[in-house]
Amino acid sequence: MTLLKREEWQDFVRDVDWTLSYVDEEAAFPEWFSGTGKVPREAWLKWEEDYKVSYQEYVYTQREKETSTYAVKAALSRSTTFDHLDEGWKSSTKMHFGGVAQVEYTAVLAELKMARFGLNGAWRNMATFGQLDELRHNALTTYFGHEFVVKDPQYDWTQKAYTTNDWVPISLRTLFDGIMTTSNVVDCALQVPLAFETGFTNLQFVALSADALESGDINFANMISSIQTDEARHSQQGVATLEILVEHDPVRAQWVIDKGFWGSARAFAALTGPSMDYYTPVEHRKQSYREFMEEWIVDQFVRTIEDYGLKKPWFWDEFMRGLDTWHHSLHMGMWWWRPTLWWKPKAGVSKDERDWLREKYPNWETVYGDKWDVIIDNINNNNVEATLPETLPYLCSTCHLPCCNPTQSRDGSWRIRNKSLSYSGRTYHFCSNGCRQIWWKDRDNVNHQTLVDRFLAGAIQPMTVEGILGYMGMTPEVMGDDPDYTAWTKDYVGREATGLVQVGGAS
Amino acid sequence: MSEPQLVPLNAIFSTDFVEILVPVTTANTMDEVAAAVAHHSEGRRVRALPYPKVVVHNGRALPGDLTVGDAGIQPLDHVAVEYDTTGASS
Repeated sequence: MTLLKREEWQDFVRDVDWTLSYVDEEAAFPEWFSGTGKVPREAWLKWEEDYKVSYQEYVYTQREKETSTYAVKAALSRSTTFDHLDEGWKSSTKMHFGGVAQVEYTAVLAELKMARFGLNGAWRNMATFGQLDELRHNALTTYFGHEFVVKDPQYDWTQKAYTTNDWVPISLRTLFDGIMTTSNVVDCALQVPLAFETGFTNLQFVALSADALESGDINFANMISSIQTDEARHSQQGVATLEILVEHDPVRAQWVIDKGFWGSARAFAALTGPSMDYYTPVEHRKQSYREFMEEWIVDQFVRTIEDYGLKKPWFWDEFMRGLDTWHHSLHMGMWWWRPTLWWKPKAGVSKDERDWLREKYPNWETVYGDKWDVIIDNINNNNVEATLPETLPYLCSTCHLPCCNPTQSRDGSWRIRNKSLSYSGRTYHFCSNGCRQIWWKDRDNVNHQTLVDRFLAGAIQPMTVEGILGYMGMTPEVMGDDPDYTAWTKDYVGREATGLVQVGGAS
Repeated sequence: MSEPQLVPLNAIFSTDFVEILVPVTTANTMDEVAAAVAHHSEGRRVRALPYPKVVVHNGRALPGDLTVGDAGIQPLDHVAVEYDTTGASS
């Protein structure tokens, strides 16, 4: 018997749906999970993905991808490539493995939710492929990171990081529980496949892949490129869902996308910004974080939402200004609180590196140069102890990242300006106006306490730096430190230094 | 007289890059609060300058001998510590 061609049968099967008779619609697709809101149930009949895939094609393609990814890995595992990678680059991979591997499993749950509660059969099919994708990403990323545990215990956090109470994973859990775990499927499709995957995963997977190749890490580039080809397919759920929502409830569509974009922008400023502009060796950087954001995220995102009649988010100016500051401040914060990290953050502020930063970010020296100079002078005066933390950074109640976004006043000076609000007799602090506004609108749906909240509530004992590190799950063999202080301080040895603190055995 | 109460603050020192958590008590004076905040930044990330320091709360610079309790500073309030350069020769 001759098989039918795909186009001859796919229209009949891709959106097969049930005619319910034993239960009513609300029992099968409860509003709190399916989230149709103002959209009439029948409107979802028009849901359609652009790029259609059958199960047979899916399995065939995925098998090919898996075979080639593991073939490259097997070939490279016999080489000494890893041993010759720069420590800064290795830190980019440790950060990626710990920050991404188990998030992929949370994405499995998000896709499964859409595969069950999506309001159209075609959507549920696409989400079924999506959950298989995410399971593959979880397995790939965990396995690739696991290979290096024998060489460096920090890679153990590939599997461990996401379930610890380290401040970085708490911040990630806050974001992903908000957009993946607790959202209804309509909001989930707009925030995960649309805002997060269509836009931001390009940043981690395309940009970092380019830097990986330049840095000689073919294995890592191979892994994340393979993952990105899946994202391009299952992220279609976003636009297909937006098309219908925007017709019936554009205000909701705008708010949900704006919120997903903002949360993603904050997380990637922490995860990808330092990797691109500090950890990757300067000679191997393809683009600055800002350049990549403008080319791959800003233009594409604005085009997508304007195509559907939506506007730029209300926070757009604050976000664009933040491209010059957010990740630089977060880099300084992560370096300062380096014992709380499972990687070795390199400061990356030698004279050559600063030349590059000044070229890419004309205000960099004005905003950050003075602070790094004091740090450098302390190190060159045998005073490293003065550069170690003795308290916590204040963490934003929305994104859980440090409150460290400077803004420029009319007189030209750059300062951190406090952004707070009072609610139910308590004061909450935020890193930005965007985070404050989102918290206020979502205040009944806040799902995690910041590390500072936990500390003040007495959940962390003893209330010391050691107690905090223990609470985070940090152990001495994993605790982060700069991999090579000399590399970025030697250019400044011998210069006159005033106004330093004297701590411990400093001379 | 009641026991001093713990007052955790959100604080920023001068031109530093990040707000930090600084615990003080209702009995601490503003000079002591300024020193507690400066301890984490001055000479570490912000170059120390030879000027007195002043605590700014709700836009008001507070006298150095005023206590946290008398100033009405509440737990989780924000304070900024600035160098007071008004007496500096130009």
